[in-house]
Amino acid sequence: MREISPRSPVAIVLIIVVVAYAGLLFIAPLVAILQGAFADGLEPVLAVFTDPRVQHAFQVTLILSLIATAINAVFGLIAAWVLVRGKFRGKKLFDALVDIPFVFSPVIAGYALIVLFGRDGWLAPPIFSIVFALPGILLAKVFVSVPFVIREVQPVLDALTPEQEEAAYTIGATRFTTFRRVILPEIWTALLYGIVLTFARAIGEFGAVSVVSGNIEGYTETATSFVFRALNDRNDVGGYSVSVVLCLISLVILVLMSFLRGRIVRRGN
Amino acid sequence: MSIKLEQLHKSYGSDPIVRNVSLEVNTGELFVLLGASGSGKSTLLRLIAGLITPDSGRVFLNDRDVTYLPTQKRGTGFVFQNYSLFRHMTVGENIGFGLSIRRVGQSERTDRVNELLQLIGLAGYGDRFPAQLSGGQQQRVALARALAYQPNVLLLDEPFGALDVKIRAQLRQSLRDIQQKLGVTAILVTHDQEEAFDIADRIGVIERGELLEVGTPSDLYQRPQNLFTATFLGTANLLTGRRNGSTVYVGDARLPAPPHTDHLRGQPVQLVCRPEELTLFTSRENAEGEVIGGGVVDSISFAGHLIRVNVLLQGQGDSPRILQALLTPSDARDLALHDGQEVWVSVRDYHLLPQTEIPSGAVSS
Repeated sequence: MREISPRSPVAIVLIIVVVAYAGLLFIAPLVAILQGAFADGLEPVLAVFTDPRVQHAFQVTLILSLIATAINAVFGLIAAWVLVRGKFRGKKLFDALVDIPFVFSPVIAGYALIVLFGRDGWLAPPIFSIVFALPGILLAKVFVSVPFVIREVQPVLDALTPEQEEAAYTIGATRFTTFRRVILPEIWTALLYGIVLTFARAIGEFGAVSVVSGNIEGYTETATSFVFRALNDRNDVGGYSVSVVLCLISLVILVLMSFLRGRIVRRGN
Repeated sequence: MSIKLEQLHKSYGSDPIVRNVSLEVNTGELFVLLGASGSGKSTLLRLIAGLITPDSGRVFLNDRDVTYLPTQKRGTGFVFQNYSLFRHMTVGENIGFGLSIRRVGQSERTDRVNELLQLIGLAGYGDRFPAQLSGGQQQRVALARALAYQPNVLLLDEPFGALDVKIRAQLRQSLRDIQQKLGVTAILVTHDQEEAFDIADRIGVIERGELLEVGTPSDLYQRPQNLFTATFLGTANLLTGRRNGSTVYVGDARLPAPPHTDHLRGQPVQLVCRPEELTLFTSRENAEGEVIGGGVVDSISFAGHLIRVNVLLQGQGDSPRILQALLTPSDARDLALHDGQEVWVSVRDYHLLPQTEIPSGAVSS
């Protein structure tokens, strides 16, 4: 490919376009949200966060996202292992199916959960309800964030030669010790990166969650559904303030990601 | 007896990889398994380490049946071709890994690691990471890692295969020194016969999963019991003949039968002689030793410190044979050899094998 010299007019135009595009898409909304939240000063913002319904919404969002992340970290690690080291029929198909949450519309995923676990669903739960309750939200968050850990860990595992494990076995390490002291340190960074992505996706999910949860105020309402309701109720300060916090969480995740990516790149060399 | 294998057999699907191999390796011995790639030599090593389970047969380490013992409990030290060091651990941590698994205390571990670093000539490298070392240094560390917990036996799978020639020669000498010093029983797998000759107490030649022949390097080279061995180890001149009484008849020539070949009495035989055992003369009259016939010089080539002369041997019945002789440069000068020149060939040392289908002439692998 021909390189564009950085001072050519074409390059300058391209740079301006990219920066303007990014500014319009990323920076402007952030500024707008901040400006909206603090339009009437600090007090209304503080009032929003003392509202028990808002606090509850954040609690639901954070706790369920953490649980979903934990579930997918463990499942993703096992799935990546099976996909790399396992030999079974239909492995390619399974490999392809892992990406379903990427291509499925979250609303449809939520709807499918209702069909499955709703009152007349095939897998309707006999004791506690799933749909329009907290377990449903958890399921939705787990579903949409399944692929991240698998897809981050899989290539790193694939690059590990079986000899490293065999060496550990001959030295006398059990399978568990080998995993903990030989394999885990090798995949640790990729696993963390996958976990961060999983958490980001789980916390931000709205479509699937809002369908399956029914957005019951003070019960199944999450931070993102609160923003959506605030919008409908013209509760501008509420919507903006919660959004600011969600944005801050995203920024922290972003910093964490670029730090981890730096580590991955350095290890690769 | 440190290592004893009884009728070990392993196949993948319907392909036998290791066929009924029995072998005994003495305590303190450095045994080399020599074979081409795909001969099953690495599989055999893995069977001993327990990385693979045999279909049938038994493995004994120090007189203990370990056939169904998992790898972890066999206490073998294994060195892989690609080093297989743990990249996230320092050199010291790599070497101490086996000790920490065996719950050896920190101070004793440090002492032992330093001792081993000294032994492999890498004292002071303990805090480096494997990626900061050269290939040869990494393989030294891998050796130290396998020796740290005083294994029953040391198993080395083409340990110098990934290194360049010069480093390879240095490293195998230091491996030999270390092995002798510690008195550890070792099996080394290689396809490199020079390497095998250089360090082995005994060599086992393996081909298509079968252990064809076991012996000291000089036995295998001078008195191979098997045609494959004869041709796989260096170049062998093969001539068909017959042993009657105490005489071997080869073409028009009669040679005294070598000792220990009475079992071939009255049989068609294959005469085996190495190129360096042939002598060339310019006429029949001044030819000395056991003359096998006359011929013409077919080609002369330079083989490092020796001159390689191919002679087309006449009077061998059906088809003429090419024999290969290795001469010192001064001998070659004295003969004033040139292509097409008539010469007489005599042989100093030779050996007999039962006749098989293999074509005769100069054969090497």
